[in-house]
This record gives sequence, structure tokens and C-alpha cells, in this order.
Amino acid sequence: MISRRALETATAVLTGSFGLAVIVSSLDNGIGWGSDGVDAGTFPFITGVIILAGSLYNLLRGLSGIGVAISRTDLRRIAGLFVPAAMFVGAIPFAGMYLASAGYIFGVLALPKHRSLPRALIIALATPLALYIVFERMFQVSLPHGGLAAALGY
Amino acid sequence: MENFQSLLHGFTIALSLQHLALMVVGVLLGILVGVLPGLGAPNGVSLLLPLTFGMQPVSAIILLSSMYWGALFGGSVTSILFNIPGEPSSVATTFDGYPMAREGKSTTALATAFGSAAFGALVGVILITFLASWVAQVALAFGPAEYFAVYFLAFASFVGMGGAAPMKTVVALAIGFAIAAIGIDTVSGSVRLTMGVDELVKGVSFVVAVMGLFGIGELLIAVEEDIHARAVSSRIDWREVFRAVARLPKHGTALLRSAAIGCWMGITPGGPTAASFMSYGIAKRFSRRGRYFGSGEVEGIIAPETADHAAGTSALLPMLSLGIPGSATAAVMMGGLMIWGLNPGPMLFIDQKDFVWGLIASMYVGNIVAVVLVLLTVPVFAALMRIPFVVIAPLIVIVCAVGAYSVSNSYLDVVLMLGFGVVGYLFKKLSYPLAPLVLAIVIGDKAEDAFRQSMLMSKGSLAIFFDNRLVTSLVVAGFALLLLPLALQVLRLLRGDADTSGEKVRII
Repeated sequence: MISRRALETATAVLTGSFGLAVIVSSLDNGIGWGSDGVDAGTFPFITGVIILAGSLYNLLRGLSGIGVAISRTDLRRIAGLFVPAAMFVGAIPFAGMYLASAGYIFGVLALPKHRSLPRALIIALATPLALYIVFERMFQVSLPHGGLAAALGY
Repeated sequence: MENFQSLLHGFTIALSLQHLALMVVGVLLGILVGVLPGLGAPNGVSLLLPLTFGMQPVSAIILLSSMYWGALFGGSVTSILFNIPGEPSSVATTFDGYPMAREGKSTTALATAFGSAAFGALVGVILITFLASWVAQVALAFGPAEYFAVYFLAFASFVGMGGAAPMKTVVALAIGFAIAAIGIDTVSGSVRLTMGVDELVKGVSFVVAVMGLFGIGELLIAVEEDIHARAVSSRIDWREVFRAVARLPKHGTALLRSAAIGCWMGITPGGPTAASFMSYGIAKRFSRRGRYFGSGEVEGIIAPETADHAAGTSALLPMLSLGIPGSATAAVMMGGLMIWGLNPGPMLFIDQKDFVWGLIASMYVGNIVAVVLVLLTVPVFAALMRIPFVVIAPLIVIVCAVGAYSVSNSYLDVVLMLGFGVVGYLFKKLSYPLAPLVLAIVIGDKAEDAFRQSMLMSKGSLAIFFDNRLVTSLVVAGFALLLLPLALQVLRLLRGDADTSGEKVRII
């Protein structure tokens, strides 16, 4: 269970630290007025300051947030979507887009028994096939084949 | 008269067989992304973008804009039949559309929605036809300082009129600017904000951000709300379609008022979502039957639909004539224009007449194609909604991953896309607006260049922004919009009202 207050604060901290990172990083490029006009870091520096200041404001406002933002069941549903998706993205460099997407679909549909095994298998095989036809064949966009395929000599 | 001739010439381009076919494909794909939860117009257009690189720019923009029209219509279909807004801009359509459909009048609701949507779009296109080239002419005299002032005005209007909490809008905008600055600086050639990741030198594409923010973020919101499609009948009774459309002129005032609100919000840019909410609110206040709003009132459908489409269409006006997109989808299209090697802005009207007028003419034709196709395909797409979410969700994740990867064949983009997904979820959940973020990513570099060029001209003095009457009034109007929320709050405090209205509307 995550309260609205916690979520508001966490988001404000997230945006604020991005702002801080932008400020620090822009200092490397120099800020202010240089020999050839406005220095490269100036504009990012200003945006960083705005992000940081705005985040502080949102942080303070967020502290007065009340109620529950994400309930336990919500959280479980979100994790149920996000965790497999993250695993899919993590598998791409190794397994390649085609194998990873087939495995992802099969895993999501067959393992929690949302769909019968043959049905899950059909959808899992049809997806990479459709990707292959649309991207590799029709539009000549090559998708990552992955380390596994490279090791096998494709 | 010159406009009229150019428009006729545009029709000769738009009405070729190839372009009509592209419109049909674009509209159908658009309805598809509009209907599917998690995929919307910005995603759909970004997904198609890499596939258009080999096309003529005019064909490419016809395909993409038709997809936009299709998505706007598709979003209304699910709003009315399933009470699930397929697009954020059609949330307000659910208020009266779904209750009416539940009473067994789904054909009436759909026909009313499409009829008023078509009217809104028509007003938007007419506005573009007559105003765009004039605005472009004015803008030809703009120097960098005026350009920066216009950008400033556009962003200030998001803060002042976007409807989300002002400081959250400011943060979203500034994050967009910072993301736009990542990579090689076009002026000095130095590398900025890569934070030690060498691969970031190429920058972060807006397509990656859109895939994550709108695609994954939307999915996470949808799975959390655990939507279930409880469909009402999706059968279309054709006689009732014509009867419902014939009844529309009776609501002339509502139509005109909503179209005006839509055009204003599209151009300024507040975006279609804010426009539809605002129009619904105003219609509720001014209609004699305002009390019945929310229980299936005709004007409750007319108001948001007309404004939504009028805003969506007129969002292309500032994109074409000034290079400032009026909505997230227009921002994506403008990114496309720049990739195709065109320079959005007033010079388009001189160098690329075929492109501009072909597009404008195609907007007339495309919207007619969209109305016909959406009516014909309602049952098909309604059936699509019965595919369970567990099957659709992973497919959309894969589509977003492929979309992010295909921008520049980089795996890092896929990882970034997932990160943007988390940000998109958090932002949507906490009512941070997403459209200004995307807009800032697309035009951040241009705004920065305009600022630095004006500084070069004035040798570092900010006085250049108050140099002449035009630039001064733009800057002053910008500041006025920035301060508008503050002024309203002070006013409210003076009248002793509690501050509760800040986050009533969930704006994308």
C-alpha cells in the first residue's frame, strides 16, 4: 500500500534529483556569457534550477496529500504487468527481439493459466512472425537478433 | 482568393488514388490505436514515423495526419460503447455518451458524437485554410527574439490554461527542455548532460519518450484501474444515424461555442484534452438542460466532441505556420517533418506549397473518410475490445519496445523507454501533464537556439525581448499567462473559497 503523500514526495524527489543532476552536469559545459555568446551549459543550467525549485514546491505541497494512492491489489496488478515487461526488455540483448517477445507472450499467457497451452503457443509464435514480416521484410528495419543468434551463426 | 486557388491545387494532390489509399490505411490504423487502451494518437504516429522515411513528405504527412483523425474518432467509440476512453481527450465524452448508449441509444450517441466531431474538425480546417498562410506571412518578419517570445508564450499558456497544477506543468516542461538538451549541442559542438553514458551523445528521441510516457505509462494506469469491457450493443442502425445528424443543427449554439473553444485551445496550445473538458464544463453551465448533464444529454456529447476535434485539427495551424505544435500528437508530427528535412514554420508556405496545401486539402478529405470508415467499422473494432487485456497488454509492450528500438537501432532506447514508462505512470497518477513534456522535447533545441541567437544579437542583454512593440506584447502576454493561476488563487482566497479546484481535472 502506498499513500498519496509517499507517492507525491517520491516523485518530487525523483524530479528534483534529475534537476540536480542537470545542474551539476551543465556546470561542466560552462554557464554564463563566454567568448562566443551564451555558453553551452547556460540553458540546461536554468532548466535544472527550474526543475529543482519546482520539485521542492511540489514536495512541500505533496506532504499534505491524504489518502491511498495505490492499494495493495493495485500494486500487485501493476507488478504483474511491469515485472514481466522488464524481464522481456532485459532479455532482448541476449535472446534478440523475436525470441524474447515469443517467450514473453508465452510466459505471460501460459504460466498464470490465462490461456490454454496451445492458444498461448499460437499467439506466442504469431507475434514474432508478424514482427518479422512487417519490419524485416516490408520496411527493412532490422530488429536485434541477440547474442544467442550470433553465437549460433545467424 | 489566392488561398482558394492554392487549396484547389492541394485537392489535386490529396485526391490522387495513392493518397486516398493512404488516408484509408491511416484512418483504420488510427481507429485501431484509438480503440486500444495504452496506444493513442501520439504513440501511433510515432510508431509509423520510422516507416515513412522512404516516402514523399506530403504522402507521409497525409498518412500520419489521417491516423490522427482516426485515433480521435476511435477514442470516442470506446468512450461511448464501453465507458473506457481510448484517448485522454475523449474522457469527457464518457460522461454523457455512455449513459445514452446504456439506454439502448448507442447509434444515436455515436452518430451525434461523429457528427459534431466532423463539424469541429471542419471549423478547424477552415480556420487553417484562411488563417495559416496569413500567420505565416506575419511570422516571416520574426527574428530570433520574436521566435523565443512566441515559444515562451506557448509554454506559458500550458501553465496558465492547461488545467493541471501550475507548478507540476512547469516541472514537466523544464524536464522536457533538459531532455532536449542531452547530446551534442548544435551551436558549440560540445557534449551536454550525458552523465557519463557515451551512447547518450546522440540525444534522446521524442519517439522513445512518447512510447514510454504514453504507451507503457497508460498500460500501467489501465491495469491498475482493472478495466472491464462491459459492452452495450454495437449494432449500427443507419436510419437513426441520419436522423441524429439531422437533429444536430438544433444545437447550433452549442456546436459553434464548442468549436470556438476547441480552436482557441488548439492554437494557443492547451491541447484537445483541456479543450474537451473546458467545453463540457461551459456547456453544462450555459445549457438550459445543464442539470441533466451526466445522464445521457445530447449536448453533453456535442460539447466535448466538437471541441476535441476542433482543437486536434487547429493544433496543426501553429505547427505549420510557426513551428510550434499545439498538441502532443502535433509535436510528434513536427518531429517527423524535421526528420524528413522540412523546416516547420513560415518558410513552408513559400518553399513547400505542395506539401502545405496538399496537407490542408487532405484534412478536408481525411475527415470525411474518417467519419464514413468509423461508422462502417464500429462493430469490428467493438469486437476487438472483447480481446482480454492480458493478451493485449504484452502485445502493446512489444510494439512500444520495437517502436523505441527502430528510431535509431539502439538497445539503450528500449531501456530508456521502459524508464519513461514508469515516469509516465507516476506523472499520470499524480496529474502532472505529459503533453508539455513531449512538446518541450521536440522544440526545446529550437527555443534554445532562438534564445542564444537573440543574446548574440544583443550582446547578452535581455533588453532585446522588449525591443519593439511586437516582442514586448508577446513577452508580457506570456508573463500574464504564467501569473494567471496565481492571480486566480489570490482572487479565490479573497472571496474566501477553499482551494479545492486545483486538480479536479485529470489532464494528460
